[in-house]
Amino acid sequence: MSIISANNIKKTYDPDKIAVHALRGIDLEIKQGEFTAIVGPSGSGKTTLLNIIGGLDRPTEGIIKIADTDISTLSDNELIDFRKDNIGFVFQAYNLIPVLTAKENVEFVMVLQKRSKEERDQRTKELLEAVGLSDKTNKTPSELSGGQQQRVAVARALASKPRFILADEPTANLDSESTAGLLDMMAELNQEEGVTFVFSTHDQRVIDRARRIVTLVDGKIESDETR
Amino acid sequence: MMLPKIAWRNIWRSRIRSFVVIGAVFLGVWAFICMMAITFSVSLGYVDDAIRFQTSHLQLHHPDFGDDKASEFMLDQDIYNQIKGNKNIIGITERTIVTGMVRSSRGARGIIIKGVDPQTETTVSEISESLLEGKFFTEEKKNEVIISKEIAEKLKLGLRKRLVLQFQDMNKEIVSASFRVAGIFKTGNNITDLSMLLVNRKDINRLLGAENAVHEIAILLDDPTADLLATQDKLKKEFPNTLIENYREISPEVQLYESQIYISVSILMFIFMLALIFGIINTMLMAVLERSRELGMLMAIGMNKLRVFGMIVLETIMLGTIGAPLGMAAGWLTVKFLNKRGLDFSEYSEGTEAFGIKSFLRPELDSEIYFILMVAVFVTALLASIYPALRAIKLRPIEAIRKI
Ligand SMILES: Nc1ncnc2c1ncn2[C@@H]1O[C@H](COP(=O)(O)OP(=O)(O)OP(=O)(O)O)[C@@H](O)[C@H]1O
Ligand SMILES: [Mg+2]
Repeated sequence: MSIISANNIKKTYDPDKIAVHALRGIDLEIKQGEFTAIVGPSGSGKTTLLNIIGGLDRPTEGIIKIADTDISTLSDNELIDFRKDNIGFVFQAYNLIPVLTAKENVEFVMVLQKRSKEERDQRTKELLEAVGLSDKTNKTPSELSGGQQQRVAVARALASKPRFILADEPTANLDSESTAGLLDMMAELNQEEGVTFVFSTHDQRVIDRARRIVTLVDGKIESDETR
Repeated sequence: MMLPKIAWRNIWRSRIRSFVVIGAVFLGVWAFICMMAITFSVSLGYVDDAIRFQTSHLQLHHPDFGDDKASEFMLDQDIYNQIKGNKNIIGITERTIVTGMVRSSRGARGIIIKGVDPQTETTVSEISESLLEGKFFTEEKKNEVIISKEIAEKLKLGLRKRLVLQFQDMNKEIVSASFRVAGIFKTGNNITDLSMLLVNRKDINRLLGAENAVHEIAILLDDPTADLLATQDKLKKEFPNTLIENYREISPEVQLYESQIYISVSILMFIFMLALIFGIINTMLMAVLERSRELGMLMAIGMNKLRVFGMIVLETIMLGTIGAPLGMAAGWLTVKFLNKRGLDFSEYSEGTEAFGIKSFLRPELDSEIYFILMVAVFVTALLASIYPALRAIKLRPIEAIRKI
């Protein structure tokens, strides 16, 4: 079964001035457990698509279903709650709350979800272990490297037990070593825990690691191959 | 919950900016407390002086005696004896009041002549304790007068000098009589001091031609805060044909003075709060705008608007109020210090006493004021938080994030 189902998604910016057709009819199904890269040249609509799938933006046309919920029917506030419980986000930067430690950042969404203290402590510990940062739990983001920050971001994204994780160019600010490390970790989570990842990237090395590659050109899917 | 923790730590992200606000609140609260304590002690001192030297707690008059102070409107002879034994009362005296002229070889002026019983007068008024020179009447001597230093200076009089009092007797005939200065007093309030002088009631009554004339009964209570109005009411019932006034009614300027002080204090408080509101709004708006990406990220990952709003409100309230308890502690210490040491204006007393203000103060402040001030600062911070919090929830996650 698909956990993401996009149907003829169109997105036009500034419709009353010079319209920018960022997406021109996207059909996309993503299944539980997939490890999908959205690739394409700059301006092809990757970020726009991820934002729409993630419920951060609304399409001009078309329907997005996340596990049977048509998210276009949700109000802005319902959408925030929906994101909290269903989608994990990893952004390019500014993922973490600077005044909180790694542990507290991971815990934060679970606090929003009103999970018990024991559950939060337990899961935070497991997740920081899974991303290889057990020894950095009490460090604040500024005390961590870019790669470590992104790992904390992945742990934070997983904390809410989302259906999938969206990552818009998660490695864009990382050096190649950290990029490789982060990708290894994501791939491992995908294979061992069955975590679904959808991420966008420019980076050929990242593309090489993906199992499914969706290529966007000019707001349309040019190719969609699974290896 | 985590929100207070985040809000608290956020305050310390731009320390200098936060310290400016906290410092402003601290200084504002401190200055306010000191100012209030001094102002209140001035006003309380004024009221206190009025009671001790002029009005006592309660006064009885003939209803028509009024401002003209016409000698024929006298009180009944037996009122004094009926009230005297009352246990709430610690002092009571009878007076004969006549308006007239005081004349020396160097000048003359209009004056209120108070005929007092030297014995009982001391139970009510402290003028006898405010003598700079001389004595508060001598038992056997006739026609003695006690005048203030102000009048002594104006009329170039000194101890044992003679002056002439001139007034109408009961038959509306002008009487003149020579008096000898037995004592010179100073209450610290020029207005009081210039308006009256004291003579022995026996002398004035004899000159008036009414041996038992009483125009005024003045009463000092043991515990005025508890008994003032009750005692006043009781006396009103007992003596329905007598005008019975408390010190506020007798001296409406006391009340005016107090309300004036309250008004100016309120205006200052309002200005202080207004300045504070703008300062806090400004600081918090900067904080919100600086953190727009972070706030967008928080909304993206599932922090709803109510929580974002609450977080900003919490942060603003913390920022706006931390300074207050510190300022209060400093203010409390300052007031305590000033109270212990006393505040001496005597160098400027020429100026202050002209307005009836004492030159030596012991500032003090009700704990109630601290509470009101805390509430005011809290309300100010709360009001100031609304706009920045609204700005924060208006951020749209993607726009905030795209700026990356
Ligand atoms: N808020 C916006 N207003 C107007 N046009 C926009 C807006 N956001 C994106 N666009 C336009 O939509 C198109 C797709 O942008 P998008 O950011 O989705 O591309 P992208 O594939 O993520 O590019 P990149 O690889 O550079 O991140 C571009 O032409 C862009 O200029
Ligand atoms: Mg992009």
